[in-house]
Amino acid sequence: MSKIEIQNLSVDYREKNNCFTALDNVSFSVEAGEFVSVIGSSGCGKSTLLSVLEGINTPTSGAVLIDGNEIHGTGTDRGVVFQHYSLFPWMTARKNVAFGVKQSKKGLPKAERLKFADDFLDRVGLEEFKNKYPSQLSGGMQQRVAIARALAMDTDILLMDEPFGAIDTKNRTILQELLLKLWEGDGTQEKKTVIFVTHDIDEAILLSDRIVMMTTSPGRVYKEITVPFDRPRNRAELVQTVQYGKFRNELQSLFYSDIASKIGGDEVVL
Amino acid sequence: MTLKKRYLRVTNLLFLILIAVQFLPNKITTETKTSYVICVSIALEVLVLVVSAFLKKPQGLNLFLDIIGFLFVILIAWTLATAKFNLLKESLFPPPGRVIWQFLDDIDKIIVNICSSLGIIVEGYLIATVVAIPLGLFIGWSVRLGSAATYISKFLSAIPPIVYIPYGIALLPTFRSVSVMVIFLASFWPIFASTMSGVMNVEGKLIDSAKVLNTNRFTMLFSVILPASLPQIFIGCNQGLTVSFILLTSAEMIGAQDGMGYYVKNYSDFGDYTRTIVGIIVIGIVVVAISFLFNRLQKYLLRWKR
Repeated sequence: MSKIEIQNLSVDYREKNNCFTALDNVSFSVEAGEFVSVIGSSGCGKSTLLSVLEGINTPTSGAVLIDGNEIHGTGTDRGVVFQHYSLFPWMTARKNVAFGVKQSKKGLPKAERLKFADDFLDRVGLEEFKNKYPSQLSGGMQQRVAIARALAMDTDILLMDEPFGAIDTKNRTILQELLLKLWEGDGTQEKKTVIFVTHDIDEAILLSDRIVMMTTSPGRVYKEITVPFDRPRNRAELVQTVQYGKFRNELQSLFYSDIASKIGGDEVVL
Repeated sequence: MTLKKRYLRVTNLLFLILIAVQFLPNKITTETKTSYVICVSIALEVLVLVVSAFLKKPQGLNLFLDIIGFLFVILIAWTLATAKFNLLKESLFPPPGRVIWQFLDDIDKIIVNICSSLGIIVEGYLIATVVAIPLGLFIGWSVRLGSAATYISKFLSAIPPIVYIPYGIALLPTFRSVSVMVIFLASFWPIFASTMSGVMNVEGKLIDSAKVLNTNRFTMLFSVILPASLPQIFIGCNQGLTVSFILLTSAEMIGAQDGMGYYVKNYSDFGDYTRTIVGIIVIGIVVVAISFLFNRLQKYLLRWKR
């Protein structure tokens, strides 16, 4: 169980003489075992925020604390799923997952690593495809392998950067439900702390406990909204309730009012 | 496939023509060793029939039959132009039967020479591969060295390695060691350059994805960067192999005491053009066989590519 605190985080990109502020003084925290979505239109710095959390990017100022300790670089306490398929094309699905396990659990014998990999590929429904190379799998299947790899690494924290952004609507729905099921579990295990970046409002509502809404250029936190629906959630039932429609509308108007204020008028056609 | 489709083929017709041609009266005075051509043709035809009976894929069968058919056409033309009509200069162009007979007669000498040539290639080439790939990985991965090394290797790889031979002869004790050095230099630069360009062009998202898995430097280089740049590395390896064969054969023709280049050069000096043609054909077969095996290896190692 890990708590994440993001404190006054700023990231500037310098290109020749131009200085571009991607993140401006962003602060929020995520409780241990909480599922938080970061939502905003493209260019609001949400991917930059995640790259800092992953440890790939270093902030210009501010800090990220995990359980009170500042992070420096990457670490095996955080599992990551990217938007673009990040599997190694020369490894089979099984080897890809086992490679992740090898990195996070040093010294585990090979047979056990593969057993771990098989177990997690079963959970994402890919038992029949475990010996296929990524090029032989569809986009959705590749993302399942990426999720299996992140889960198999058994980290307390899961960072997901628009993992379903490049997947068709039908498969996206299936994957969202799969993720929801895997994260909620059967209620006996401890839940992972998740930060999930998306620009899809419905996805954010279905999955999260809380939604952090960001504004564009420079990226700032605009609002933090708690999602008022009980778990375990069922999409089909949830979307039919009146509360869902109302909540969704509120979120949407917040989302668009921000864009309207940025452009400076109310005649925004979307 | 019906029986008719399987066995009624142009290749089989060509075989019959080839056999018939052998029984035409000879026009040249020297021995033609016709029986050797007949034996080889029958052996090839038996092979054709066996393959026709057992190979299931029609495309593979077609390819095989076409290649053997082409061989038959060449043998027919060759027999006609030499033994039967004497259209070419007899001393320069021996009939096919004599070449086959000479090949069988010289087989132990030929094997010794092939082994000598291949020994040099394997040694020089393997040393080049073992040095160039890790070096290319390390230097390509370090951003600053990489860009300087690209220019330096571009300059050095542009120099034909054969010009180093005088230095090799002055510095090294035997012709063999000079040849190994030349092969090493000839394969080193293309492999090194392609490894570096492979490393520099590895997709950023793959590197990020490896970074978030917390890979150390060694794992990053050898489990991620190396396989990711392997398609590019193979381009350099192919190039190095081709250049090696060309260089070695030329070098052997200049100053060696054995090797296939020496075999060809030595007998042509004595006017023995039967052996010269044997040597040329054997070199062709060896190079084709090596590139076939090399392609197999490449296909296996890159089987994950679409």
